Amino acid sequence: MSDVKIKSNNLNVFYGDKQALFDVNLDLNEKEVTALIGPSGCGKSTFIRCINRMNDVIDICKVTGNIEIDGVEINDENLDVVSLRERVGMVFQKPNPFPKSIYDNISYGPKIHGKGETKSELDEIVERSLKKAALWEEVKDRLDEPGTGLSGGQQQRLCIARAISVNPEVILMDEPCSALDPIATAKIEELIDELKKTYTIVIVTHSMAQAVRVSQKTGFFHLGKLIEVGKTEKIFKNPDNKMTQDYITGRFG
Amino acid sequence: MTKEQRLKKRHAAEKRFRLYGLTSILVALVFVLILVNNIFSKGSSAFMKTVINVEVFFDPELIEIENGAPEENIRESDFYDITIETLLKAYPAKNLDEENELIDLFTTDAEIEIKKAFLENNNLIGKKINLEITASDDIDQLHKGNYPRNLPEDRRRISNFQLKIYDNLLKNNKINKNFNNYFFNNGDSRDPELAGIGGALVGSFYSIIICLLLAFPVAVLASIYLEEFAPKNKITDFIEININNLAAVPSIVYGLLALQILLATIQLPRSTPLVAGITLALMTLPRIIIPCRASLKAVPPSIREGALAVGASKFQSVFHHVVPLSLPGTLSGTIIGLAQALGETAPLILIGMVAFVVDIPSTPIDPSSSLPVQVYLWSESAERGFVEKTSATIMMLLSFLIVMNFIAVYLRQKFEKRWN
Repeated sequence: MSDVKIKSNNLNVFYGDKQALFDVNLDLNEKEVTALIGPSGCGKSTFIRCINRMNDVIDICKVTGNIEIDGVEINDENLDVVSLRERVGMVFQKPNPFPKSIYDNISYGPKIHGKGETKSELDEIVERSLKKAALWEEVKDRLDEPGTGLSGGQQQRLCIARAISVNPEVILMDEPCSALDPIATAKIEELIDELKKTYTIVIVTHSMAQAVRVSQKTGFFHLGKLIEVGKTEKIFKNPDNKMTQDYITGRFG
Repeated sequence: MTKEQRLKKRHAAEKRFRLYGLTSILVALVFVLILVNNIFSKGSSAFMKTVINVEVFFDPELIEIENGAPEENIRESDFYDITIETLLKAYPAKNLDEENELIDLFTTDAEIEIKKAFLENNNLIGKKINLEITASDDIDQLHKGNYPRNLPEDRRRISNFQLKIYDNLLKNNKINKNFNNYFFNNGDSRDPELAGIGGALVGSFYSIIICLLLAFPVAVLASIYLEEFAPKNKITDFIEININNLAAVPSIVYGLLALQILLATIQLPRSTPLVAGITLALMTLPRIIIPCRASLKAVPPSIREGALAVGASKFQSVFHHVVPLSLPGTLSGTIIGLAQALGETAPLILIGMVAFVVDIPSTPIDPSSSLPVQVYLWSESAERGFVEKTSATIMMLLSFLIVMNFIAVYLRQKFEKRWN
């Protein structure tokens, strides 16, 4: 059993009057992939957006309860979100490369965090990040071309490379394959397998098959509540909860 | 109703709608054509002026200076006698009345034109040269065919004797049309043949530059703050509604505001491009903020999230990513706002820009006119010569507006294409 990296304790999230998460207690292990499944609107995305405080962007969103990373409380007004997000990267549902060159897409993060002082350092970071995201071979000759000119799957790997470029500890993925075809999806899944050696990964997915393939631990959400969490194998073969059973067998959701 | 009948009806409805659309576009086009045709046919003649060829003899007895005299002395010296002699030689006049009528064929600035010719070639004393002197407004209009010569004499501004001289000059090829440099170089004048839009052009230019310098930074920063940083609450909603209202406030109200605050309270100099620029900036501000905010809003939120997720601060995500992407829309919105300001007349009338200004302003705090106000001023003048000047000024104003709109379209297309 690995060490716990992220620990949530009685996490509640409100969008205005509407409560989106109810008392979520979930531990995420270091250097492991945790999949979050559940029907649309059940709070999976809301949960991972708490981990890098992306919910701060939404004015009406209010978060109560605790989230700790390595034992340090992050749901704290005095916490600097910029350095939190340096440690917790995120990949979104729709690939969202900046409308800049491939090189600039990757080098932007290190630049603003002062990680690449010289051009050669930046070059190295760009190459290393693209290699880790399994994109280097495809784009090494056209780093000056716009990132938006790549195919959907390549764009999503570019976004993963962008997240990796600042050398985070955790990578959050919000349905990273929902806009991609099966071949591109397979590539991303392979990549996730590779990345979990270095990073703690949390992935939200609508595909049970994907959860089974990539994750070691799975959490099932329903209507803002964490219904069941456990080893992926157990959740999909022998869940404790009837609702989980119904969901993974396709009886609802 | 059978299925076929229904289908037929649907097609007919679509056809009818297309016809309505086409008709309305055609009607609009016809009106535009009539307007443009009217302006061009009236205004194009203003770019030429009528000149009369005369022989100037720089008689050493009529002038005090000598060849090679310092420029200063020439400017101060009196060319009046030489001018009168020159003009009288154009046609034999029998008495004082006829002489006066003869002199009236020429512009009142004939002396200045002769002096200028001397200044260009400072060794003409004792020599004779041929010079083209600008004709008076009446002869100019007669020569351009805008003046009815078949009226009875007592209802004409041109006497029978003057007509005789004109015909004689025409027969001897002494009357020509030249490019009207006065129209571009001169300020306003009571004499139509001397009146130009030089002062109005410079005044409009200064006003627009001041308007741009004040309105652009304030509008862009206000839009960025309101769109990206301000909390969404009742106060910002109220501000937003009022910005939209301000954009719809009649421009004359801004003129009243400027009259009270800028002229009466702060006591800035009247009729100046400085005050005009500030007034236009107040008026243009909401008209730039609205397209600016729209173009910021059009930047997809995913770009903001992408930047925030790699650890950019709010400020960095806005200024590194959102603002550059919104720039084409911002710039074209600004240019279109400025084009509106360029054509604005009412507020300028209230701040005293309707004054009759002969001198071309050299700084933004000199009294000045502006293009649309010049149109307004000349359209009220009685002299026939101002009719063509009015239309020609409208042509200039319209061409500036068209150029600005083209720049706006060009900027938008050029920068938006970059990533597609």
